[in-house]
Amino acid sequence: MCKCASENPMYAYPATITKIIEETPDVKTFQMVFDDPQVQENFGNQPGQVTMISLLGHGEITISITSSPTRKGMLEFSIKKVGRVTEIVHQLEVGMKVGIRGPYGNNFPFEDMKGKDLVIIGGGIGLAPVRSLIDYVLADENRADYGHVDIVYGARSKADLCFKYDLFDTWPQKKDTSVYVTIDRSEEGWDGKVAFVPAYLEELNPSPENKIAVTCGPPIMIKFVLQTLAKLGWKDEQIITTLEGRMKCCIGKCGRCNVGDKFICLDGPVFNLAQIKQMPEEF
Amino acid sequence: MNKVIKRDQLVAALDSIAAKYQLIAPVQDESSVLFKPGVAGKDVVLDAVNSTVSPKGTFFPQWETMYTYNMAEADFAVKHPDQGPDRVLFGVRPCDIMAILHIDPVFIGEKFGDFYYEAKRNKTTIIGVSCPSVAHTCFCSTFGGSPTANKGADIMFYDLGDKFAVEVLTDKGKAVAELISKFLTDDAAAPAAVEAKAKELAAQCKPVDVTGVKEFLDGAFEHPYWVELSKKCLNCGVCTYVCPTCHCFDVVDEGYKSEGQRIRCWDSCMAKDFNLAAGGHNTRPSKLEKVRNRFMHKLKYHLDRYNLAGCIGCGRCSQKCPVNLDITQVISDVKAVK
Ligand SMILES: Cc1cc2nc3c(=O)[nH]c(=O)nc-3n(C[C@H](O)[C@H](O)[C@H](O)COP(=O)(O)OP(=O)(O)OC[C@H]3O[C@@H](n4cnc5c(N)ncnc54)[C@H](O)[C@@H]3O)c2cc1C
Ligand code: SF4
Ligand code: SF4
Ligand code: FES
Repeated sequence: MCKCASENPMYAYPATITKIIEETPDVKTFQMVFDDPQVQENFGNQPGQVTMISLLGHGEITISITSSPTRKGMLEFSIKKVGRVTEIVHQLEVGMKVGIRGPYGNNFPFEDMKGKDLVIIGGGIGLAPVRSLIDYVLADENRADYGHVDIVYGARSKADLCFKYDLFDTWPQKKDTSVYVTIDRSEEGWDGKVAFVPAYLEELNPSPENKIAVTCGPPIMIKFVLQTLAKLGWKDEQIITTLEGRMKCCIGKCGRCNVGDKFICLDGPVFNLAQIKQMPEEF
Repeated sequence: MNKVIKRDQLVAALDSIAAKYQLIAPVQDESSVLFKPGVAGKDVVLDAVNSTVSPKGTFFPQWETMYTYNMAEADFAVKHPDQGPDRVLFGVRPCDIMAILHIDPVFIGEKFGDFYYEAKRNKTTIIGVSCPSVAHTCFCSTFGGSPTANKGADIMFYDLGDKFAVEVLTDKGKAVAELISKFLTDDAAAPAAVEAKAKELAAQCKPVDVTGVKEFLDGAFEHPYWVELSKKCLNCGVCTYVCPTCHCFDVVDEGYKSEGQRIRCWDSCMAKDFNLAAGGHNTRPSKLEKVRNRFMHKLKYHLDRYNLAGCIGCGRCSQKCPVNLDITQVISDVKAVK
């Protein structure tokens, strides 16, 4: 075989789907393993990074790696069915193959977060990218490096909650970890919190003292979360979020994802609010 | 620069090159002058100041196969097309060579290289040809260029009318120059002639001063100027199509049943759905955002990112725009509105 593949950053390595979890009616989590163990071993993803998942004949989609690098030997992706390619992905079954290229972009600043408390605020599928950070921080080998972890998460309804096994089983059992789950409207069989995420956050009133907040979710949620945090006295440098944009190459060449002179695919997707305020408002 | 080649020997010289390399050079194609591969010496035209479309397609074709696949054979056994023979890109104007140098860092370097661009760039020897005259739209001097600049060329031909002074600049150039050595004669007067020509042409470049434009644009994202400017744009995309520094592309799969190919092709930030994401979110939905992005990219973003001008003053966009949206006008407007 020619070395073209290994020399071409736009070549997607074949991987096999080993597990599928139906999170919600339109979100599935796919566990995938590269066919070449060497590729799997050397992938080297960091929390917050993304990949391009390739379906030959259909196209490529930008998808965050939702699993933490501390979980070795596989990658997980949570994919929401929204259009042409994601529709096809949702029809795939265990044992079928896709192509994966990456990892791309920067990562959550997990080094700078050491010694600090974390407040993670997510909505809907927006928990997917941050889940890689949560699992990284909560992993036994890293847990001592970080302070308390608060996770505030909401979805439209109970059925729309992603990662229920983590929210209700895995994470609450971890040391120094609190999980707050809410849904937008009350419904039968739900005796938990009913509130929009920003309102719940305000009620929980986390002090900014020695903390970092990470928020990902629908743009409208992020907008109000940022307002709430500002009201609670948080500084822009303490608040981290991710930007999305349409992407084609994910390696800073196709020119599609620029916000000002930044390429989200190379310089992002993770930015703190101070950085975002320096950028033209075009995202 | 003491060597010259007679103009009437050019065809024979180019044919000697074409015998060993794939010759890519400007040829007449109906009313356009386009760079085409595999041409013969006699077809090469050098009288147009600028080719209609820039020669960037030599490294970044308008359309290229990234790889082909056949799922029936073996899953994902994709095949990369051969990146072609060694080639000589002849007849490139100094501004277009500068443009190549200015998009090199997009495709080569930062974190990732570009397999396709780099392969073709490495296989190519560039022979620049100085401009015979200066078009009324030319303003390369604005960005430090000149009609006789040799920067980035492997060999430079200086057009002196009935002859060309020949300057070999790199080892790559040396190898090609050997093929045409029999056509080269000594001419001690050549350097002085080139210098005189350089002075004469430089004086004809449209004086456009960009001083202060970048600094103004740094704070002008929300300036009402963009609203006015964008009103007349038709979003036809011609400006980006002819531009030597536009590098946006789309990636598309074309297949039938189990066989097909993934291609990439030029795209334009002027295109309707360029930034449309699933769910209908579009970060640059209207003319305003698109036009602003194009001029910001040319005059600010590229400069911020690579410390290289995003426009090299070839004048093609101004020449081709159906509604006369002229980048030199934007530059002077911007200096006036501040
Ligand atoms: C940094 C980043 C991380 C992402 N992480 C996830 C994730 O973890 N899970 C998830 O479900 N989705 C994620 N997305 C969104 C996902 O990429 C789009 O939903 C997906 O590309 C839509 O493809 P489609 O073909 O189904 O949609 P269509 O609307 O049919 O789109 C057709 C084409 O448009 C492009 N496109 C459309 N929407 C987007 C978009 N929002 N972003 C980028 N390109 C788009 C793609 O190239 C796609 O092939 C992420 C996007 C970005 C930019
Ligand atoms: S060529 Fe002119 S009309 Fe067409 S997209 Fe460019 S600026 Fe607009
Ligand atoms: S913006 Fe216009 S003048 Fe500048 S390099 Fe591109 S086509 Fe030439
Ligand atoms: S996705 Fe191509 S430049 Fe970012």
